[in-house]
Amino acid sequence: MNVSSAATSTLSKEEVRTRVDVTLGMIFFIGSWTMAFGTLFLSFLVLRQRVGVWPPEGIVLPSFPLATVATLILVASSLGLHRAVRAWDAKGGGGEREQASSAQRDWAVGVGLGFAFAVLQALLWADLLAAGRFPSSGLYESLFYGLTWVHAAHVVIGLLALLWAWIGLSSGRYGPNRLSTVSNIVIFWHFVDVVWIVLYLGFFVF
Amino acid sequence: MSGQHIHAEPTNFFRKHVFSVDHKVIAKQFLWFGLIWLGIGGVMAMMIRWQLANPGEPVPVIGSMLFPRTNGVLDPATYNTLFTMHGTIMIFLGLTPLMIGAIGNWSIPLMIGARDMIFPLLNCLSFWAMFLGGAVGFISLFVPLGATEAGWTGYPTLSTTINGVGSGETLWAIAVFLIGASSIMGGINYMTTVIRLRAPGMTWQRLPLTVWGIFLTSVLNVLFVPVIGSAMLLLIMDRVFGTTFFIPASIMQGAGGGDPILYQHLFWIFGHPEVYILILPAWGIIGDLLSFFSRKPAFGYRAQVGAMVAVTLLSAVVYGHHMFTTGLSAMLGESFMLLTMIISVPAEILFFNWLHTLWKGNLRLTTPMLFSMGVIFVFGLGGLTGIYLATIGTDIFLHDTYFVVGHFHLTMAASALFATFAGIYFWFPKMFAREMNEFLGKTHFWFTVIPLVTVFCLMFVMGYAGMPRRYYDHTSAEYLRSLQHLNKYATHAAFLLGAAQLVFVYNFIRSRWWGKPASQNPWEVGTLDWTMETPVPHYNFKEIPEVFTGPHEFSNPDIPDGKDWISMTEKLKA
Repeated sequence: MNVSSAATSTLSKEEVRTRVDVTLGMIFFIGSWTMAFGTLFLSFLVLRQRVGVWPPEGIVLPSFPLATVATLILVASSLGLHRAVRAWDAKGGGGEREQASSAQRDWAVGVGLGFAFAVLQALLWADLLAAGRFPSSGLYESLFYGLTWVHAAHVVIGLLALLWAWIGLSSGRYGPNRLSTVSNIVIFWHFVDVVWIVLYLGFFVF
Repeated sequence: MSGQHIHAEPTNFFRKHVFSVDHKVIAKQFLWFGLIWLGIGGVMAMMIRWQLANPGEPVPVIGSMLFPRTNGVLDPATYNTLFTMHGTIMIFLGLTPLMIGAIGNWSIPLMIGARDMIFPLLNCLSFWAMFLGGAVGFISLFVPLGATEAGWTGYPTLSTTINGVGSGETLWAIAVFLIGASSIMGGINYMTTVIRLRAPGMTWQRLPLTVWGIFLTSVLNVLFVPVIGSAMLLLIMDRVFGTTFFIPASIMQGAGGGDPILYQHLFWIFGHPEVYILILPAWGIIGDLLSFFSRKPAFGYRAQVGAMVAVTLLSAVVYGHHMFTTGLSAMLGESFMLLTMIISVPAEILFFNWLHTLWKGNLRLTTPMLFSMGVIFVFGLGGLTGIYLATIGTDIFLHDTYFVVGHFHLTMAASALFATFAGIYFWFPKMFAREMNEFLGKTHFWFTVIPLVTVFCLMFVMGYAGMPRRYYDHTSAEYLRSLQHLNKYATHAAFLLGAAQLVFVYNFIRSRWWGKPASQNPWEVGTLDWTMETPVPHYNFKEIPEVFTGPHEFSNPDIPDGKDWISMTEKLKA
């Protein structure tokens, strides 16, 4: 996705090559992880078919408004990070001051919203736990806790990676080659975003 | 290509030998790791065979040391643990690191003309993830209540807390998860390396078959190992956090439970491609070696590649043949049966190409060649018996008998093992700059292949006679007592097979340190790995080579100066 824009920017031939290398590796990784989450979602669909009424009657469901807000926040976070990476790419890592500062702002908003999502996810669990619904309470709870746990683990890894990238960016140590790393982390974050949307659709919409 | 840097060689011991990012060092780490686990898994197999031949008698020599509580007798729980861990170890910690980790790491960069893997750090992580997985698996042998007893497939509800109360099963799942993570890291690395770092002129149609095989295996690893990873996560949650993904409602007092058959689907969606994950590199290796030692081009190179690609695609859609007895609908069952049968078409294409490569060749019966021909033989036996298991009618009778055990040992285990041995004997001179002893190598081959075929062919007979797998004591059933003498023959053959491996261990250790120094190209082949000096310098190629000919240009009349082979970097006469 960022490969073509990188090729037309100020990056040297070798830098473009590195960008293609790591992006290709990331695409394979995302393909692999799509199978991993696909497996979880397949299990969700199969087990859901086993139950006559879905969601099962007489249980407390996780909060729909909270989950919807979380979804919007995560999408906004992805958009902010995407804009930041695009701006940096266009300038080949350095760039005009103005451009860089607006990119910095987009980046900060993106990471901040990522943390906001993590908080909302915790609130979703806290609500359910307060209502006395535990992972062992039944099939719905098994699926909801199990799938969101795995997703949340990726949120945590993604946030740590974003913070790590931020430290590098703000200390100015990142040349254009390092931008490949940043771009890859953001691709991963988009993936985490898409997985959440699928989970949201499965648990809250359909 | 100029983008590949030459880093300084590390001088620190840890950076050089332990946490190295050099693919050659990592290949050797995988090699030693895999050989040690192969030994552990092999000893377990010997104990299983002892129990089958002499049920309830104390295991000689090592028994009283390993099982002092029972004076060396295998109790039923220990027996279950042994066959479970034997399968898990051989597949995940024996053949995978040897074939994919060691041979893959060694051959890919050297054969495609690269200085290293494209992501060297990921490569290092891949080994250490597998090491950690092995460590967890090893620890699980010593926890209270023992290691897993659920079979290497870990089916619920055998593997849920209802049966496996100790932490052994959980540790098993964690180990499989970590080893899976290692395989995915390796797969991503291998795929990207082959796509991006091929030397100029190394087109896809000049790629050695070994690299093709490992490349396709990497595709399967990247796509299907995550499925078992997720299944293991769900299993761990069921065991640790009380979820009910795989625990049926009938056990949970009706509270809307999960489905144990779901686990079987998830396991075999991974499990069938896993068979090809192990066999594709084997096919690739012997595709090359049969050509090298017949001094002929690999017959039907493109057909071989096409067949391997076809098998890769088909391997994803046949897994249902493991589940004919689970109440699969007739339509699904017949579809899976048909698709499974179709796989034999590309497999036959490979067979005929291998045989035609040998045909009228100037055969050099070296040890790697013998093992490569052994692969054709044992895979042929295993493949033909697979037809009976792919057919629903016969499978329902043969399911969970020793017929299945014989079949998958010949196809997956023996073929992959033979190709691994072929690869080790073949690359040893480049890897360690010393030659292995040919006489000991050939002794190893003959004392491996004859007992091995004996053991597993006897299993076909016993399985056809109705002997079920995973039973502790077959003599407790009246109708199986008449098979006991066959069990004894099989065990004697298995012990001979085990003893033959000691020849290999001796040869390997002796040659590693005291063998004859190897010349640069002892086998007289033209692939890039043999154009390099011995021992291979740090960062392989100072100048990235340019490739002009294919990997199997043997006995071509256009080869200059009267040799029967040509290096891939040389040009044929115009």
